[in-house]
Amino acid sequence: MAEIVAAIGVPHTPNFPALVAKQGPDCPTARLYAEVAKHLHAAKPDVLVIYTDDHFNTFFLDNFPIFAVGIADATSGPNDQTAMPSYRVAVLASLASHLRAKAIAAGFDLSLAQAFELDHSIMVPLHFLTPDMAIPIVPFFINGLAPPLPTAQRCYALGKAVSAAIADWPQDARVAVVGSGSFSLEIGGPRIPPGERAGTPDPEWVKHVQEHIEHGRIAELVAEATPARLARAGNIGGELLNWIAMLGAVDGRRPAFIAPEIEHGHAYAAWRLD
Amino acid sequence: MSIYAVNKVCRDALHDPVWREALKRDPKSAIAPLPLSAEERSALLNGDVAWLYEQGAHPFLLAYLTRWELFGLTVSLYSERIRAAREPAGRE
Repeated sequence: MAEIVAAIGVPHTPNFPALVAKQGPDCPTARLYAEVAKHLHAAKPDVLVIYTDDHFNTFFLDNFPIFAVGIADATSGPNDQTAMPSYRVAVLASLASHLRAKAIAAGFDLSLAQAFELDHSIMVPLHFLTPDMAIPIVPFFINGLAPPLPTAQRCYALGKAVSAAIADWPQDARVAVVGSGSFSLEIGGPRIPPGERAGTPDPEWVKHVQEHIEHGRIAELVAEATPARLARAGNIGGELLNWIAMLGAVDGRRPAFIAPEIEHGHAYAAWRLD
Repeated sequence: MSIYAVNKVCRDALHDPVWREALKRDPKSAIAPLPLSAEERSALLNGDVAWLYEQGAHPFLLAYLTRWELFGLTVSLYSERIRAAREPAGRE
């Protein structure tokens, strides 16, 4: 039977690969990602189930799913001009199909993508966590950017349903669950700082979210992460929903590691669940 | 409801280098065939991102325009204008 052995949460800022290439392995971004990667690899995962929000690259507004799962033999990216190497990565289609079927049976109407590429929101984390691309993925897409967003309750319930479906998969596999995104971020909207194109409008919310996660207060986090609250955190604040879905695998357990970067609007965290 | 076309102008500036070059070279001619309202066409050509935002254009996509300073939008000009925008009706 499959088993969830780790959960991690990371940001996916597009300039990280270029930043770390320039600043080297001792810069904060490199060290934080390395710490998360250490916990991830200690759990020896066979597959990564990843919750992310496509930034109008894999999908566009002609057809934009609230929830979707990618089911293919492989995918590639980044498909959005992010300054980083291009990668091809395997998708574990058998697990993805199982999770989609089980989630649909549980009441989550997941859209299907069978031919797709990925943007920085998955490729930046993989670049740092599994640069050899040796671990296949199952990508879940949650609409965190185009209001109205799905509710935090719905995303948490999706995460719980997917976790139950992982435990129900008859094959032996060690599964790690990944949530990708920021807690507070405004790009191109009215709350950017003067002279900038992006900023962190709500650092207090970042600290508050980090403390809830650190202490396992997931019910409180889900209750507080209303659409209005997420919007106050910035027009990219809905990325917290990716973390909330990931937390469906954690069940209120405390992380082995968590480190916020308050001024940048995000955090890094890792749970060992095996 | 042609704000979709505004969003697509921005998205294609990232994804389609030929389109991006056309926008750089002659923005008025480039967007001439698109199904835009007169107000949208004028707002794009004037770089009026606050108005476009208020009509529902997505700010993540609008911000792409600054990468190539399309429609005259430097980062500082974009920032100054968008910071004066009101929230669009119905967006939470």
